[in-house]
Amino acid sequence: MNTPVEPPTDDLRYAEYVLGVLERDERAAVEREIAASSAAAAAEAQWRERLLPLAEQVAPQAPPERVWRRIRAALEFDATRSGAGFWDNLRLWHWLTVGSGALLAAACAALLFILVHRPAAPPIPYMAATITEHNGQVGWTATMDISQARMVVVPAAPQTVQPGRTPELWLIPAGGRPIAVGLISTHAPITLALSAGLVARLGPTARLAVSIEPQGGSPTGQPTGPVVAAGPIGAAPAGGVPATAQLIRTAPQRPA
Amino acid sequence: MNDTPTDTETLEQLLARTALQDRAAFERLYQRTSSRLFGLCVRMMRDRGEAEEVLQEAFITVWHRAGTYNPTLASANTWLTTLVRNRIIDRLRQRRESTSTETLDLEHLPDEAQGPAAHAEASENAVRLERCLDQLDAKYSRSVREAFFTGATYKELAMRTQVPLATMKSWIRRALMQLRTCLET
Repeated sequence: MNTPVEPPTDDLRYAEYVLGVLERDERAAVEREIAASSAAAAAEAQWRERLLPLAEQVAPQAPPERVWRRIRAALEFDATRSGAGFWDNLRLWHWLTVGSGALLAAACAALLFILVHRPAAPPIPYMAATITEHNGQVGWTATMDISQARMVVVPAAPQTVQPGRTPELWLIPAGGRPIAVGLISTHAPITLALSAGLVARLGPTARLAVSIEPQGGSPTGQPTGPVVAAGPIGAAPAGGVPATAQLIRTAPQRPA
Repeated sequence: MNDTPTDTETLEQLLARTALQDRAAFERLYQRTSSRLFGLCVRMMRDRGEAEEVLQEAFITVWHRAGTYNPTLASANTWLTTLVRNRIIDRLRQRRESTSTETLDLEHLPDEAQGPAAHAEASENAVRLERCLDQLDAKYSRSVREAFFTGATYKELAMRTQVPLATMKSWIRRALMQLRTCLET
């Protein structure tokens, strides 16, 4: 039992995070690492699997009925349906990123079905882009909701980037310079708010691209790192069904 | 609650259907998991009113974020427990910024661990973890339990047990390293 006291390794910091002993700012720092690096996320997940079984020692207690009533009320389950549910359906966006044409078509058909069968929903102006890698593999899928000025960017599969780097999304208008859209994640869906200027430039002649930048994003306002994926933006076909823009990765894939 | 064939659904399936905004699946997810999660809220918050609020906020988040659940990284159970615990810890941090902490004597702390037989549903992982905790120096395992169930920071744990901060850090870090080794074998 005479282990020397060592400074915490990264792995130990994730353990401390899961246990809950870190101060607020340290917790926030670990959370940023987990969001930016799939290796960090995997290490933290391993510690959760190790430590969280401790929670089973607590005897279950039924919460009062009012808790469920309040949840229903907060989520407006009893109110009339709005369009938000459709937009917030990230799992659906995830399916859209699968990248196979057939699946994409099936997903669009499913969306059309959902839209047609939704009572009294106005047509929704969606646009989307599949951001594809050099080797033709889909890197990310971006779906844009024009009316709400936001975009969900979903990685098709966990992406590998160098430690300390982060993928940044750019809008490239036809013949124009890239405009920063925001930092995206290598492994999780991200919702980005779009400025009015950006929304105005979205359209079938524009492209989306992903470059690899230092933490915090490009320091210059223009891409500084390699562009690893790009793809055109598709206009929404009639009926308000979102087209998708896939971002195809352009950098040579690392050997697995 | 309802014990229909829905009980054969896994929590992962319920979470996937929740991501598709299936309200019935979400309600079954709540029915299946809320008692266990509420027990944890009450234990850690030590205030039923606040525990109810945390549970409510957590399930609202589950509804919105079910689509981000990644089954390759964690079980649905672990994902839900993490979400709830993170909310509890955030609240405890806020609450403690304005209150002083009581002191605690680890030597005479009633051992709240009820052991693997505490309730019949303890998973294999819980039994293994318990066995590994039992192999640690008593002050290490008590510190880990105290940290886990009170959401206290290193600083708070050191104050409560009246040991230097560096001592508390080394106890818990050693405990974590030994647990990692023990759980890998």
